[in-house]
Amino acid sequence: MSTVTEYLLDDSQVAEFVVKGYHLLEPDLPVGLNETIAHKLEGLQSNPGDAITDAVPELWQVLKHPAVGGALTSLLGPDYEVQGHRHWHCKQPASGFMQWHQDSTNNRDTRLNRFLGLYYPTDVTPDMGPTIIVPGTQYRNAPTDRMATYTNIRGQVPVVVKAGTIAFTHYDLWHGTAANRSARKRHMIKFLFRRTKDNETPTWNHDPAVLDKATDWNHRDGAGDPRNILTFGNPIGVSQSDHYKERGIRRQVWDYLIGQGTLQAIDA
Amino acid sequence: MPKKSSKKCKKKKKAKDKRQRLLYLHARSPSVFSEILGYTPIEPLADYQVEITAEEPDWPYRTVHGAIVDGWQVVQFPHLQAPFDDSDLDVVGYEFILQKMEVIEA
Repeated sequence: MSTVTEYLLDDSQVAEFVVKGYHLLEPDLPVGLNETIAHKLEGLQSNPGDAITDAVPELWQVLKHPAVGGALTSLLGPDYEVQGHRHWHCKQPASGFMQWHQDSTNNRDTRLNRFLGLYYPTDVTPDMGPTIIVPGTQYRNAPTDRMATYTNIRGQVPVVVKAGTIAFTHYDLWHGTAANRSARKRHMIKFLFRRTKDNETPTWNHDPAVLDKATDWNHRDGAGDPRNILTFGNPIGVSQSDHYKERGIRRQVWDYLIGQGTLQAIDA
Repeated sequence: MPKKSSKKCKKKKKAKDKRQRLLYLHARSPSVFSEILGYTPIEPLADYQVEITAEEPDWPYRTVHGAIVDGWQVVQFPHLQAPFDDSDLDVVGYEFILQKMEVIEA
């Protein structure tokens, strides 16, 4: 019997989440579970809103998978809450694209206290209207109206995934969708997760020694350790000014997650 | 007199046939030589729509300057006079709006 502990993220994965604002997980779900869920979704006559887990109770098997628990524990602590709000997003064939947006209003938070889990029960191909995210935009305080003159952004990532994938995305990450030009519905169930306690120590598979790695000007974020990922990561190639601001925010987030008030991993 | 009127009319018609093509470019910095992060062309055609795509974008220009070399004219430069917070981040890049006036074969 696998446990959550076996699936905790490591330091580099947490640092990557802090920088990019997303983490893709492919849990080893029971054979047939994705197909069962997809079949039930296909049969729904109306959208049950938050009651989607009553209409399709098999979704709880996804949420309770230890790999899901491992990722959530790593990023939100062991006492994370699965919030009551959830939603079935069914992107119909021939439906158009969805413009970039950040959810909710512009009250951004540099602590990592909540994020989304987007579960896809079927394979998602580029023509099925995948969710599209812009890595690193989660720290931008940008009213959605200000995004109206953007379409494609360099470095955007289409969530083209295998059945059963869960994309954990920072609540404030810029996201939209492409048009669905296929003949198939593209299903996605959105879950919302919340932290209930501040960290006193790291809640992932943390190795204190990894923080002793020096700044690597040759390999930069490719060095793969938190200091260099947090220092050099620039997923869409923003300007130096913006990059320095991002670094400062990442430092706050990392310090918050590690449970200490002083800088451990990155340069000032 | 009739000859002059006809010439004027022809000139007017030709000008009318030109339509405004727009190009929103979001550059890495306010410099026209900085790399483009966002590319949004708006063609003056009924039912035209530009959209976010899952495919890797293939843009004809690497910089705003590249578009200018190709005949685009900047009609709005990024606003740099607005108040700002040096610790806050808002939108991605700096927005240049360009136009080309061209006869469009619909």
